Amino acid sequence: MTLAAPIAPVLAVLALLALPLVATNQFYLHLAITVLMWTLLGAAWNLLGGFAGQVSFGHAAFFGIGAYTTMILYLKLGLAPWYGMALGGLVGALAALPIGLICFRLRGPYFSLSTLAVAEIVRLVALNWEELTNGPVGLLITTLPPVGLPGRPLNWESKVPFYYLGAGLVVGAMVATDRLARSRLGAYLLAIREDEDAAESIGIDTVRAKVVTLALSAFFTGLGGGFYGVYFRYVDPDAVFPIALSVEMVFIAVVGGLATVGGPVIGAVFLVTLGELFRERFLVGHLIFYGLFMMLAIRYLPEGIWGGARRALAARR
Amino acid sequence: MPLLEVAELTRDFGGLRAVAGLSFAVEPGEILGLIGPNGAGKTTVFNLITGFLRPTTGRILLEGVSLVGLRPHAVTRRGVARTFQIVKPFPRLSVRENATLAAFLRHPARPAAEAAAQRVLAEVGLGAKLEGPASDLTLAEQKRLEMARALATRPKLLLLDEPMGGLTPREVEDASALVQRISAAGLTIILVEHVMKAIMRISNRVVVIHHGEKIADGPPDQVVRDPAVIAAYLGARPA
Amino acid sequence: METFVQSVVSGVLTGSLYAMIGVGLTIVFGVMRIINLAHGEMVMLGMYGAFWGHVLWNVDPFVSVLLSVPLMFLGGMLVYRFLLRKIIPGGELNTLLYTAGLSLLIANLALFVWTGDYRTIKLRYALTPLRPFGIAVPIPLAIAFGLAILITAALYLFLSRTDVGRAIRATSQNPEAAALMGVNVDRIATVTFGLGTALAGAAGALLAPSLYLYPTVGEILIAKCFVIVVLGGLGSVMGAIAGGVLLGLVESLGAVYVSVAYKDTIGFVMFLLVLLLRPSGLFGVGKS
Repeated sequence: MTLAAPIAPVLAVLALLALPLVATNQFYLHLAITVLMWTLLGAAWNLLGGFAGQVSFGHAAFFGIGAYTTMILYLKLGLAPWYGMALGGLVGALAALPIGLICFRLRGPYFSLSTLAVAEIVRLVALNWEELTNGPVGLLITTLPPVGLPGRPLNWESKVPFYYLGAGLVVGAMVATDRLARSRLGAYLLAIREDEDAAESIGIDTVRAKVVTLALSAFFTGLGGGFYGVYFRYVDPDAVFPIALSVEMVFIAVVGGLATVGGPVIGAVFLVTLGELFRERFLVGHLIFYGLFMMLAIRYLPEGIWGGARRALAARR
Repeated sequence: MPLLEVAELTRDFGGLRAVAGLSFAVEPGEILGLIGPNGAGKTTVFNLITGFLRPTTGRILLEGVSLVGLRPHAVTRRGVARTFQIVKPFPRLSVRENATLAAFLRHPARPAAEAAAQRVLAEVGLGAKLEGPASDLTLAEQKRLEMARALATRPKLLLLDEPMGGLTPREVEDASALVQRISAAGLTIILVEHVMKAIMRISNRVVVIHHGEKIADGPPDQVVRDPAVIAAYLGARPA
Repeated sequence: METFVQSVVSGVLTGSLYAMIGVGLTIVFGVMRIINLAHGEMVMLGMYGAFWGHVLWNVDPFVSVLLSVPLMFLGGMLVYRFLLRKIIPGGELNTLLYTAGLSLLIANLALFVWTGDYRTIKLRYALTPLRPFGIAVPIPLAIAFGLAILITAALYLFLSRTDVGRAIRATSQNPEAAALMGVNVDRIATVTFGLGTALAGAAGALLAPSLYLYPTVGEILIAKCFVIVVLGGLGSVMGAIAGGVLLGLVESLGAVYVSVAYKDTIGFVMFLLVLLLRPSGLFGVGKS
């Protein structure tokens, strides 16, 4: 699956690490951070949607749970957001258990619709449970705790630490994706994607496989939510639980390339960059590209940009 | 003791009784043919045994232990494997991967699973077609792939649902020979089939089902002369 | 008691319009087994059509239905013919994703062209509500209700009395058998999609004087639409009507007797319960 053994990923990681040294423009750094966050989300969604073939339109639920967990733990209990983020991921994974047990009773488009309903219910609860979430007013972080490498406190006013934090999360997600792809669970998921009943009949516990994958996917999505909270410092139900967010995750994963490690990266780089540049200039309507490229991908390149590129390269040899 | 025992098995779908108080047993090593007019309930019986459906009432015992309430993957783990009436390969995965996935049940490590898969695929005659996607195979080959997949789970009992449906006479002969080879290797088989010549030739015993009830149970040459069976096939009228 | 009756009346009025939107979605599902996620945007286009007709040429929104229906019918047929038809063989999920893309494209183009400002249509004859028996009934909603009934009745007659209508119902029940009977399934699919789109557009025009208009309104509408068609059973026209009215009632009564905040939640909880416990809905023809 890698182009040339470990060389390509190592180079990519080095480039990733070096970027902030080269691109000091605040807008481009912000763009890079946004791309990283969406790569994380796309990669998280990809675990369930790409490998297992279960298209969820409700992942915003996990994103928002992660974001709110991080914010609430910091603002009400003083727990530093870096730990809060990890807990946000864990709480998201825990939420995946009941949500999975409910929604996985359904298949195909019915499953997708049920995830949408669940996410909307979670959003409405967050909107109305004011004692916990502050309702529509939202939660705001004014100062982040001073922390950093020994002797050199990190400057949280700069974007650079967030860049590296995001990059770290993305690399973690990609490693997890790669490990999954090579594992027996990963193989089982592909079977489930092809034909769930046939998979059951050869001894695969499909419910367990799906729920475990959902939990993994929810974990990374929750991490992304926590990251959002820490970077943007303000969350409200409309920002972290909207249907649009779930939908964007789907699009990035599909356009980039399902069931691949590189797909979410390509998808995020492509769609988010286009979208953000458009938004800079025109303010509204940036999702036009998401819609357009999803349609083009399904019609002409169902394996996504990265999937198609890999196939073209393989055919070349 | 019989390998499989089905007792008073009943399954209702709303007002429709698809399987009605069905009882039969399968001895280890035999090939049991399960026949009956269309809509008699044969595939439903398979779905009940393998856990895709729950019985409304009745018992299903494998080596004396109940299978009722187990999900299909658990039934397979206990040693019952099946094929489907309409083939269900994993189309985009390779032939080899199709069988490897099934072999994982008994060989958790990939190298061992792939080796076992390769052996099974060779047994069914697909040894030369390992790499291509399963969707590229002909119908007869896909049916053999399904059998290989089922065999890779090392079952004690194999349920074959119309393995010869849609095949040419020559392919039917090859499939019959394969079933007999599998049986000779020690597997117990229940075979649902409409191709009468094949099933009568290879079955040790035949059970006939009509409207979800057993109407005959015995050696093929005896069953085929049973007046109730003849009436069911020739004179069947919807109830 | 009066509050209860008021709630019921409001619920039924709104529900009838939900029903119309739901019927459009459900007939498309019945014939083609596709869930058109862009259906909400069709409603939105109908709304904006009425709005611009009113603002630019002083056309009454209820009159604009006469123009928007044929236009949307044609538009729907073109969308099916040139966009969707090639996608459907790729499977249910691919089609779902494709229509999701279409939905985003249309909504965001609208956002780009018309901006996200909320628009309203002010009708001079609609300023004070009617008060039959002391129940407040907003005039635009009452007219919309009446027209929705007419349109739905016309649809019912069309489906049961005309050849094309019967062909649609046949294809919905069993496409292979219908094809064997000589039905041109592809042509029926095209017509049905056009019909579904036209119903959506009409519903939008009827709703326009009663709601705030904004380009992404399709999002919340499609979510409600799912609840309706699943409640009533995917593929069933009667079901969609019943589902629509039921949702309207549940929301209206829920707002009064449970809580305004959680009224939307009730719909989604019902949706999940139906999906899990009775997936074929009240009258469904689709498989679960």
